[in-house]
Order: sequence, then structure tokens, then C-alpha cells
Amino acid sequence: MTREEIVAITNEVFEESFEIEPERLVPEASIFQELGLDSLDTVDLVVAIQKRFGVRVRDDERIRSIRTLNDVYTFIETIQNERDA
Amino acid sequence: MKRVVITGMGAVSPLGGSVQELASALDAGRHAIRMMPEWTAYKGLRSLLAAPAEMRNERAIPRQSRRSMGRMSIFAAQAAMEALLDAKCVPGNLGDGHVGCVAGSTTASAITLNNVFEQILPEHDFANVQAMEFFQCLSHTVAMNVAQYLGLRGILLSTNAACASSLQAIGTAFELIRSGRQDAVFCGGAEELHPTVTGSFDMLMAASTQYNDRPNEASRPFDAARDGLVCGEGAGILFLEERERALKRGATVYAEVLGFHTCSGGAHISESNRDGIAQCMTAALAEAQCTPADIGYVSAHATATLQGDGEEAAAIRSVLGGAVPVSSLKGNLGHTLGASGAIELIAVIGGLRRGRLYPTRNLETVAEECRGLRHVTAIEETDAKCFLKNSFAFGGINASLICKI
Repeated sequence: MTREEIVAITNEVFEESFEIEPERLVPEASIFQELGLDSLDTVDLVVAIQKRFGVRVRDDERIRSIRTLNDVYTFIETIQNERDA
Repeated sequence: MKRVVITGMGAVSPLGGSVQELASALDAGRHAIRMMPEWTAYKGLRSLLAAPAEMRNERAIPRQSRRSMGRMSIFAAQAAMEALLDAKCVPGNLGDGHVGCVAGSTTASAITLNNVFEQILPEHDFANVQAMEFFQCLSHTVAMNVAQYLGLRGILLSTNAACASSLQAIGTAFELIRSGRQDAVFCGGAEELHPTVTGSFDMLMAASTQYNDRPNEASRPFDAARDGLVCGEGAGILFLEERERALKRGATVYAEVLGFHTCSGGAHISESNRDGIAQCMTAALAEAQCTPADIGYVSAHATATLQGDGEEAAAIRSVLGGAVPVSSLKGNLGHTLGASGAIELIAVIGGLRRGRLYPTRNLETVAEECRGLRHVTAIEETDAKCFLKNSFAFGGINASLICKI
């Protein structure tokens, strides 16, 4: 899956699950301060990522360091690369 | 003791998304019972009837509030907001700790409960369970969601007593205000349809199974051809308020709550019994300082089950005699279970304030065991002011509320 595809699917998750307008989904946006997610939303973000990308990441410690939308894209890309390697 | 009045009402029911729509539908004698073709996918489910409510405009509830709400909590939040606006309160201005919330439902969100277990059980795997589903699966999901949505900081209680949930909530709110512990309380209940809900009643031989091809004729309280209840969904929320506070702020007083009682039948886990119901009604009369002659109308629980309607009819005869008008709204609304007490109370108050009694829809031939009552079979003009509302539930729970418009 290309980075563009990851971005598109992730943005869909933010639009559908968190009802965020597409124009606000810029890579540098903080998912907490700017996009308004909280700790409970993070749990549901992880579940959505698992379902959409077919991965299991609930126990992955790297989730805790995610701050921006770009961090989410990169995290998914990393997970995919690790899986494919 | 303080006096308690109703100054706001909100309802999402099978007959519409507001109190006004409910009233208009009842005025027109409409019903909401449908055959549910998709339910044929469930083996062993014989009752394929329901009275669905329509989900509308849920995005008017901000996501941060809505995310923890299942279907029933969304209905309840919408009904609560309608009650709040109807009472001419200011949203966001009720967080002084003097305004509480008491609400209940039979179970938590039946849809979410089923979704969660369908995810967990095949592989015994929690990986894809969402955080927000947890909050929809809590037994007090309706009360907590309404209270947080409205920003209330008063007493928060959940009265989960199946079909008596919302009448118990209203009675509890009445007690909290009467004793001075709260100035006002949002109270009521909510429910949502799911095949597993109807299946529970079907399994216990309490759901209608003979009218799947004739939904128009299903749900026949007190009728000789009744064969069980039809589940409905929705929410009813009332704003109860200490009378002096209401008068001081110039609120419209819809009715005064005079008395309430709830008790255990003490005899059987599912079958209601006339002695327990009579005891409950008698105690409510005493609480209200009313005599049987003061009661001008009875809004019966009567769900169209073979056993329950006969027991309630016998209890009404013994406590109030055979002259007081009696009807049940479940022929129109189905049985909205935990929401029924509140939705029906709201409908009755609206009817009485316009001088009318609603009939028992589908009551054509009164069953022998339900005779000896003054059944209302068509819309009637009335000057009745004081009325009694019954709600009963599995587990031998009885509840009776007395109000005066």
C-alpha cells in the first residue's frame, strides 16, 4: 500500500469516525489540540486502524508517541513495512 | 413536603420525534406497528412485529456527547433537550447541582450489546471492541448520557426496572424534589428495538405471534383476541420541578405529581398479580391523599398479554370500581418497555389538557376477564383532571403514579 493510499484511508477514518471536515485533515494537524480527539478517541482510532488496515496494534507502545496526523500515517506505514519485511 | 409539578416534556416515540407529533398521531388514531421482514433471519423468533421510532437529526448532538450514546440514549438525549426547551430552561445553565437526572431502560443498548458480543465471541478476541461501545453497554447508559449531555451536576440515578423503568424514574424524581434534595429533575426512560429484545418476550410466551401478517390488528390490550405484546422503542423525558420555583420563574405547569408508589408483587417472577397491583394503586392513592372518587381516568399498563391485562383489570375494578374511564395506548405505540411509562404519561397529559381521553386501539370485544371496567374505545371529551398511570415489569415490580392537570 502506498503512502497516498494510507493517507486516504486514514483521512476517511477521521472523517467517518470523528466527523472531522476533510479540509482540516492536514498532515501537521495535532490530533488532540487541533482535531479534538481525547484518550477515549485514541482507543477507537486504534480499533479503526486495525479494521481498515488488517493489523493488530493495540499493544504497540509507539501509539503513545503519536501527536499529529502525519505521525499516524507514518506509524501505519512503519507497521506495514515491518509486516512485509 | 414540597409540591412537584411537570413543566417540560419531550418524547421520541414510534409516532414521531416530538410531543406534538405524538399528540397529532393519537388524535388521528394512528398506530406504528409494522412487520419486520429482516427478523425472519432469526431462527425460533415467532413474533415479527415491532413499533419502530425514526432516528432523526442525531448530528445535532455534538459528537463528544453522542459518541457514548447508543440508539436509546440518542432518543433520550433528544427527548431531554425537547423537555429542556419546552420548560424554557437555558441549555448549559443547569449545572448548579440542584438539577438532577433519573432515567432507566430495560437493558443497555441492545444493538451495541449484540455488536460487541458478535465481535468478541467468534474468536474470544477483544481486539476490535471500541471504547465508546463500552459506555453504550452500561446498565445506566441512558441516565449518564442525558446528564452529561445537559451538563447536570445534581443527583444522577438509574432506575433499570424493565417496563417500569421510566415510571420509577418519575416517581424517584418526585421523591427527590418533594423532600427538598433537588429543585428539579429530568426523568424518564428509553428503549431500542432489537430481535433479541422481542425474542426475550417471545421465549416467555408474552409476545404477539398471530398477527405477523396483520400488524394493524396486533397489540390489542384487554381484547378477547389479544395474543401478546409488540415491542416498541423511543424515549420520554419529563422535567419535574419544585412548584414554587416553577411559579416564580413563570413556567407553564402541565400537571402536578400528587403521589407515587412502587412495590414488589411478592408472588411470581413474571406473572403480575391483582393483589400486588391493587396494593400499589392503593398506596399511591394514599400518598396522593386522594380517594378513588378523585381519579377521573386510568392510563393502564395493559400490554395485551393474556395474563397481565386480566390481573390489571381486576385490580382496577377492586380499587377504583367500574365507572372510571380506562385505556391503554399500547395499541398505538406498541410496548415501548422502559420508555412506556414516560411516553404514555406525556401523551395522557397532552390529551387531558385538551379535554380528551385516548381510547384503547384494537379493543373490539372486551375479554371476559377484563370486563367490569369503563373501557374507552373511541376518543372522548372529558373534564377529568386527576388520573392514575400504571407501569409493571417482569420481576414482580408494580408502579403507580397519580397526577393532576
